[in-house]
Formats: sequence, structure tokens, C-alpha cells
Amino acid sequence: MGAKGVSGVPTRYEYGGDEFIFVQFSEEMSLESNFKGMAITRKLKEKQLEGILDICPSNASYMVRYNPDVLDSEELMDVLQEIEKTTNRLDDVTIASRLVDVPVLFEDPWTHEALMRFRDRHQDPEATDLEYSAKINGYASTEKFIEAITGAPFLVSMIGFVPGLPWCFQMVSREKQIEVPKYVRPRTYTPERAFGFGGAFAVIYPVQGAGGYQLYGIAPAPIYQKEQTLPDFQDSMVFPRQGDIFRYRSITREEYEDIRRQVEDGTFVYRKKDFSFTPGDVLADPEAFSENVMRRLYHD
Amino acid sequence: MIKVIKPGLQTTVQDKGRIGLYEIGMPPSGAMDKYSFAAANLLVGNHPNAAVLEITYLGPELLFEKGMRISLTGANMPPKINGEPVPMWETLEVKPGDILSFDFVKSGARVYLAVEGGIDVPVIMNSRSTYTLIGIGGYNGRALAAGDVLHTADMKEKDVPVGSRIDEAYIPVFGKAHEIRVVVGLCSYRLTEESKQTFLQTEWTVTPEANRIGYRHRGERLQFVEREQPFGAGSNPSNVTDLGYPIGSIQVPDGVEPIVLLHDAVTGGGYATIATVISSDLNRMGQIKTNEKVRFAAVSLAEALQARRETEEKLMRIAASL
Amino acid sequence: MSDKKAILSPLPGVFYRKPSPEKPDYVQEGDTVKAGDVVGLIEVMKNFYEVKAEEDGVIDQFCVENESIVDVGQEIVSLK
Repeated sequence: MGAKGVSGVPTRYEYGGDEFIFVQFSEEMSLESNFKGMAITRKLKEKQLEGILDICPSNASYMVRYNPDVLDSEELMDVLQEIEKTTNRLDDVTIASRLVDVPVLFEDPWTHEALMRFRDRHQDPEATDLEYSAKINGYASTEKFIEAITGAPFLVSMIGFVPGLPWCFQMVSREKQIEVPKYVRPRTYTPERAFGFGGAFAVIYPVQGAGGYQLYGIAPAPIYQKEQTLPDFQDSMVFPRQGDIFRYRSITREEYEDIRRQVEDGTFVYRKKDFSFTPGDVLADPEAFSENVMRRLYHD
Repeated sequence: MIKVIKPGLQTTVQDKGRIGLYEIGMPPSGAMDKYSFAAANLLVGNHPNAAVLEITYLGPELLFEKGMRISLTGANMPPKINGEPVPMWETLEVKPGDILSFDFVKSGARVYLAVEGGIDVPVIMNSRSTYTLIGIGGYNGRALAAGDVLHTADMKEKDVPVGSRIDEAYIPVFGKAHEIRVVVGLCSYRLTEESKQTFLQTEWTVTPEANRIGYRHRGERLQFVEREQPFGAGSNPSNVTDLGYPIGSIQVPDGVEPIVLLHDAVTGGGYATIATVISSDLNRMGQIKTNEKVRFAAVSLAEALQARRETEEKLMRIAASL
Repeated sequence: MSDKKAILSPLPGVFYRKPSPEKPDYVQEGDTVKAGDVVGLIEVMKNFYEVKAEEDGVIDQFCVENESIVDVGQEIVSLK
């Protein structure tokens, strides 16, 4: 079923009960699959079909929730397949995005305390999560590993799990992609705003809770704010949007405390710029694209 | 005003739910058994989205400080007003000072208490439903506690006479063994053919981890098709590149215990989903208790839509009868 | 005086005789309990619910083992 998807593998179209359709472009993660989902879900949104309740783009797939009393299931399936057929070329799709500077304090005391509590659930109980991840990805030191994470921006490829959690996929060539396993058994505790990595994705945990990603640091600024007092949260409790480009920047304890004070007195604002790009720009040369992003964010 | 004397085990304010926010990772919440929820509102003449109390496993004790019409539907948990038994699935009237309490649950898991006008709590993102994980909606984002005071809203649309009763034919009966219909699909390609059969043939037991987030089932171990790990998916055979989870979707982390994700579930993650409970059986799922038995029966999309129409038809007949 | 009274489980879940693994049991067979005394816990949906004696009496016996799964209405303790 379905059109020819990414890398020649057919796209999977599946009904999720009587209210959902799930579309998977590929089993593996790639920028190409994510962009394809982004392009198709944005086109679907523009159609404003009556009966669609949710359009949920994810990493290499997307999901639609609809009311089958209003919108016929097979008719919707046809519409989705038709959109895919007309979205084979990704370079004519423009993604309206934001470039965002996201400060992170690496090797902080709070996530360190949390990860030490659960060493018995980890692949390598003798090392920290950062030491383990640096080693299995071939980095000589944790400093070099942090440099790799902070050296190129990440695409916010999916939002979910809990409100506001951004899955972030680094915009570098495949050889440079970091990949780490999740904990052998999930932790029962992760601090709020912890910065972690699992599979090929970096995340920030919006709220305290369970979690299985490797823990490297903590963000001083929230990505989810229930009270909506900060300027970046006026329109939504959730800051990240799919398609945003996040650059994780390593900060000192001093800057961390400074940003915490700004968050508490309600003045903190993310450094960010509106930015439009086409998937073609990124896929043609991720390295050049990353450099361009960094220049735009910090210098232009 | 309604005063909470004892809160029960987990009593929350719910309506139809917070729909349309999957893309920011917000699950819908809302009543687990929407059929009983709808019937409760119909019995007091409320708007279909008026908020009710969802009472789980153990009933609360509530003091009504004002007279009003109320109704109780869902699980069979014998209710009493001032210690005297009163019927469920019927329009009742309470007087100022009356106390509502319950016996132990006899069958089912969740009772819906509707009050004339609906429960009034702040509307957050178009819904009054409680989502306790992040503490939003409902009564201060949490289950009720002793001493809480509830107010009523003005979502009453018509006068339903006291003593109006739902026809026996439309009152669901909940046993201890349940057949739940599913549409197999999503990432079911990850299961071996044999395990797909095992999934459908096993009589599963609901574990104590069964709540508004999801129901975990114990039974057989399921096997996944061997593969080379796709880039970005986790290392476990049950892992996939993180994707969206439909409400009612079933995942089996490490092949050990199938979890049916429900209305307060995480909206996405990295486990292969293998089937989805059809919408009309999600209502029944919400009435299953820990220790009870579940069998999953595969149906086609056409059958799922037919079951949906039948459920809607029943609610229309109830509405017409009142 | 010899009629036995039962304390029934109000919930389905896992029954515990002690408040936490390292603490002693709430009560032992032969202990005298007053109405409202806690005799055990039921865990369900990650909630712990205290099972209390509804009237005064002496614990005759526990009808279920520590950490076993119980149903609603199942007899947990008999009092004499």
C-alpha cells in the first residue's frame, strides 16, 4: 500500500482503530523522512478538512486523529496518499521556523545526583552517562563529546511524550550522528529541565518524572510553563514547535544561576530569530546549513 | 455547593476531554467511559460536554449544601443518600444537607456522577478535564481531597423529571472477563506471526498498574521479528523510531506485558504499537478492574465503525426517551 | 462472643501487611484492634489505601498472604 516513500521503501498507511490513521515513511530516522512528514502535515493542515481533530507529525511518521462520523475513513486515507504523491520533491516546500539558542549546563549536580542513583539500571555502572556515551561514540573525552553536541544545531523533529518535550535530531551528516542506547531499565526519577539523549535524539524533560534517556546536563530555562508568566509562553504553555532549530550552548554555573534568576523574576526571553528554509537546503549540505544557522543566530 | 467529606480512591472532574493538542504532546484526558458519561449528563438535562465526577474503584462521601438533581451511571457501586439505597441510571434529587455515599463496587470500575448544570472548574484549553501528570484542569489539577468544595456550572439545557430512568436495554453489564475489540495494525509488522496469534488467543490478566494512563496485562511473552536495528530506534526489538501513540493503542515493551494506552497516556514514544482498541470498546476498557481477564478480538475497520454507530444509536435513543 | 467478623478488601490490588518493606507488620494474629486501626495496605494504580478495622476486636487470622493479589470484597482478616 502507498506511494514510494523515502529511499524506495513503501510508505506504510495503517488505521489505528476507527479514529486514527498512522503513516510511517521509514523505520529508520533521517532528516529526509522528518521533512517529508513536515511537508505533508503542513499541506494537510492548510486543507482545513472538516472532521480532522489532530495532526501529529512525528520523527519518521505522522498520525491523524479524525471523527469518522464527519469525515469518511477511506476518503481521508485517499487524501493522505494523494498529498504524498504531490510531495515527492522536497525542495519546493518552505518551512517557517525559528532559530533558538538553548543554554545547557553540562555535568550539573542535579542530573549527576539522579544518574548516580540509578547506576544499577545502566549499561555501564562504573561510568557517568556522559563518559559512557562519549566512549561508545568514539570521542576521546567528554569535552570533545560536548563539543560535538554543541557544535551543530538540532532540528525539533517531534513534540510529545508529555506536553512540550522536544525530540531533537542533529543537522549533521549520518557519520557524525550521535547514537546512544536508552537505560537498560528506565529511571523512576529525572529532574525537571534535564537534558538527555536516547537513540538519535536529544531531549529536554519538561517536567520531573520517569525517563530512560542518558543524562548529560540541565537547562536553566523552561520549555514548558504552566503558569505562562514568561514572555515566550504567552500564547502556549509549550515553547518548542516542530520544525524549530535549537542550538544547545554549553554554559557556566554562573550563567546558569543568572538565567535562573531571570526565569524567576519573569524577564527571561529565549534568544531566537525567525528563519525560513527548504529541506533541500539542508539535505544538500548539512554542514554548510549548520554554519549558516549559527551565523544567523549569533551574528546577523 | 458540594463538599467532599471523603474523596474515595481517585475521584476527578472530567468532560469529553482536551481534543486537538496532540502536536504539543497533550493527551486528551476526559471521561474513560464516554457512554456512561454521556448517559449521566442526559439524565440531568446537561449539555453533552458538561463536567462530571469520575469515581474510580472506591466511592467518595459528598455533602450537598444545595438541592439539585443528580445522576449516577457506570460501574455498579451501590449508592446511598443519607444511608438509604438509591438507584443508578435514574434522575435523582438531593436536598440541602443530604450525604451521598457508596458501598463497595460490585462490577465495573468507574462511576459517573452528573449534577444539574455540571461541575464548575476553570476551563483550560477548552476542557475541564483533570490531567494529573502535569497538574492541569479539573479541581486544581488533581484528584479530589477531603475538604474540597465544588460549585455547579450553568450547562443545563433541559428539565428532566426526577425519577426518569434509562431503559434496562441500554444499561451496560460488566463481568469479570472482557472481550475487547481491536484493529490490528500500526507497527504490528514487528511481531512474529506466531506472536500475533498469541496476542489474540491469550486470556490476559489486568495488573495493579491499570489507571487513566494505561492498563498493563500479564499473560504470555511476545516475540518480535529479528532485524538489524534501524538508525534512531532503540536497541530493544520492541523499539521503533519514536512515533505517535493513538488512544487505545497497544504496545508491548520488551515483549513482556501488553499496555493499552488510555486517555492520560504519553502521546508518543519509542515502542512498537501493534493494535488499537476501537472507540466503542474504550468505554468498556474503562470499566475493567485489576485482576480481571481480557481477550483481544481482531475486527476490521468496517466492524469498528459499525460498533461505533451502534453505540451512538443507543445514546440517541436514551436522549429521545428522556 | 465467638461470632467472627471479617475485614473485607474495598479494592482490587496488592495487599501488604506492613507500611514499607523495612517496617514491622501493622498487626499480628492475637492483637487487639480498635475501630479505625490500620491492618494493612492495598496498592492499586500506584495509590496505597489503608485497610482499617471497622469495629473493635481481636485478630483471629489473616486470610491472605503478604503481597498477594486481592479482589474487591475478598476477606482479608477475620476478627473474633
